[in-house]
Amino acid sequence: MRDRLAVMAASACGVLLVVQYFVNADWLQASYRLLLSWMQAIFAFALVVGVLAVIRDRIARAGRTTEERVNAVVMVGAALVISLLGFVGGTGRESPFQWAFVHLQAPMQTTVFSLLAFYVATAAYRGFRARTIESGVLVVAALIVLLGRVPIGEWLTPVLPGGADWILNTPALAAKRAILIGIGLGMAATSLRVIAGIERTYLGGR
Amino acid sequence: MNERSLIFLALAGIVSAALLLRPGLPIGVTDSAHEVFELIESLDSGDVVMISFDHEASSLPEVGPLGAAIADHCFRKRINVVGLALFAEGTAAGYELLTERAGGAGARYGDDWIYLGFRPQYTAAILGMGESIPDVFAADYRGTEIGTLPLGRRVLDYNDIDLVVSVADGSMPTYWVEYAQARYGQKIVAALSAVMVTSFTPYLEAGQLAGILPGLRGAAAYEQLLNSPGAGSRGMDAISGAHVLLALLVVAGNIQLWRSRRRRRNP
Amino acid sequence: MFSFACRGQRPFALALLILLSSSVAVLGDNGSPVADAGLWGTGKIPEFIAVLLLSLVMVIGVIHVRRRGRPQLRPLPPIAAVDDAIGRATEQGTAVIYTTGWGGDMSRPTIMASMEILGSVASRAALNGCRLLVPSHDPVIVGVAQDTISQSATVAGRPDWFASSDVTFVTQSQFGYASAFAGLVARHHPGSVFLIGTFEGEALILAEAAHDAGAVTIAGTDSTIQLSFFLVACDYTLIGEELFAAAAMVSGDERAAAAVLAQDMIKYLILLLLLIGGILVGFGFNLNDHL
Repeated sequence: MRDRLAVMAASACGVLLVVQYFVNADWLQASYRLLLSWMQAIFAFALVVGVLAVIRDRIARAGRTTEERVNAVVMVGAALVISLLGFVGGTGRESPFQWAFVHLQAPMQTTVFSLLAFYVATAAYRGFRARTIESGVLVVAALIVLLGRVPIGEWLTPVLPGGADWILNTPALAAKRAILIGIGLGMAATSLRVIAGIERTYLGGR
Repeated sequence: MNERSLIFLALAGIVSAALLLRPGLPIGVTDSAHEVFELIESLDSGDVVMISFDHEASSLPEVGPLGAAIADHCFRKRINVVGLALFAEGTAAGYELLTERAGGAGARYGDDWIYLGFRPQYTAAILGMGESIPDVFAADYRGTEIGTLPLGRRVLDYNDIDLVVSVADGSMPTYWVEYAQARYGQKIVAALSAVMVTSFTPYLEAGQLAGILPGLRGAAAYEQLLNSPGAGSRGMDAISGAHVLLALLVVAGNIQLWRSRRRRRNP
Repeated sequence: MFSFACRGQRPFALALLILLSSSVAVLGDNGSPVADAGLWGTGKIPEFIAVLLLSLVMVIGVIHVRRRGRPQLRPLPPIAAVDDAIGRATEQGTAVIYTTGWGGDMSRPTIMASMEILGSVASRAALNGCRLLVPSHDPVIVGVAQDTISQSATVAGRPDWFASSDVTFVTQSQFGYASAFAGLVARHHPGSVFLIGTFEGEALILAEAAHDAGAVTIAGTDSTIQLSFFLVACDYTLIGEELFAAAAMVSGDERAAAAVLAQDMIKYLILLLLLIGGILVGFGFNLNDHL
């Protein structure tokens, strides 16, 4: 019964959202705005549930090994401290919360992001090998784009930036569009199946 | 020391050297930067640009200069700016950036610019603003009721916004296009991290995006147009060095492949 | 259509009825599209036609599958490799890690398709007694994944195998999530890693972390940018809509296979439109200006 209600709710909301896109009736637009507000509220509460779940999980793991205990203390401690800073000191420009964000979180996030550059370098060294004619074409295209998109390529020769632009705007764009069309169709078909009540993976496999 | 460590060291070395030595390679103005520049240049004093900071703290070094360049241009032209964030981490970064840029240009909060803050569930937020911005953001980031701010009273929905600039490090401009542009006809510019640019070129070609400003290169080009080099221009030498190293690594990898094939053929 | 409706497809039939009756409203008495009258928004006729067309083709696909049986889906190497990947993890005595990426939430069709594949991976892992870890950035995905895995374990006859603590919400932050994943891989040294869903900048970090740990990596995403990274860094990659086809394949549901068939039919139609449009542009007539 619960599953049937969930499927009916999903179908009804799906049909409503499709119809309101094409029809300008006041009651439809009002229902649509209400749904948008509900989506925001659900997401906010789901976030609270998720955070509480991860804190509970870490506390449960703290009893297993010393390493888990240290990780749990750091993680739960940081979450509590940052939350307190925000509630007590506010989130203004000069607040401790803002200081923590600018001097702790942002640098940590940026550092992990910067790892991407190193991983790209190793992936490029490992992956761009001309084993076949097609991969050879890929290697040449990669070299042209790598050098053509930066000032040093423009300084070396104007052919490189022109070549890079052509590669990105013509063959790469064509391939991308084809993949996007396929993905778009897949998404549309899945969405229609959800509205029709055929697709029920969002219920957890039931 | 294995190959991976050597590659990591080489990259760190070349980027550090470029940042310290600053060879100062000439930075050309790209067509994409020019298009976005002309778009904002065509707006008048009193028009409204919405800048949405749809990025995380991690990509600040790359998309921060983009947001700064756009904000500088807007404040210079006395274009009103409505800032917001659809990513939690972009909220503080965006507010910090706009406060700094506005202060430098003498723009007044409430009259010349406002900052709406963050809303979760970006789909609902983007669609909701098309119906009513005060419904989505009843108060601004500072907690002031929107209706009490002069600029807040003027911007009721997308009809009052002349341009939306999404400063993003991910797919957020897709949602701006799918919801704000497709449904409400809102003009959208995407100021993106470089790796995401090719994903959005189809939208630009189809006219769904009014412009794309790509990564640090785009920021550097925009700074040239504003005649005020900043973080974007400073990073160009390092990026050039890194790209040259990547190209050399690709060549080195293929030389290694060729040599191992030769060894197998002639044992 | 009504006998089709009687076989349990009433919501679909209802949706089609609403759209069809709405189309009568838009066409009006004289049969011409009424651009700005009454209930209809302007400029949305092409989208409406596209929605109708896709719905009709889906219905045709389902009817075709009911009459002729499940269509033959071309074998996908990443799906064929799933058994070996899980077997490898089992032999090594390590875990399998499955993640849906940071870029999407449960409302995204790609994540739904990923859940379908997760169910299949979970049932095989349960049969092998191999641990399955699922870190996620979204609490709703965690809930659905827990239900999916629990259900798969029960169907596989191993309800005791499932541990809800193995499916965890880590953080909403992109690189916090990437760090958590890299840490999980470094601690557990998985035999295989599944990266199937919507990924953004963290994709290469996840793929390289898995590669460094020596895991077999099977990936699939709807992001064209991250697809490039996966193709270079992973052992097997589902490209674009192959992810949806893979979900249809593993689900065994004939209606999912019908959707794949419908997608193929629409693609042929798009190809035809591209050809016609290209020829017309050559004669100076741009179809886009008249839509």
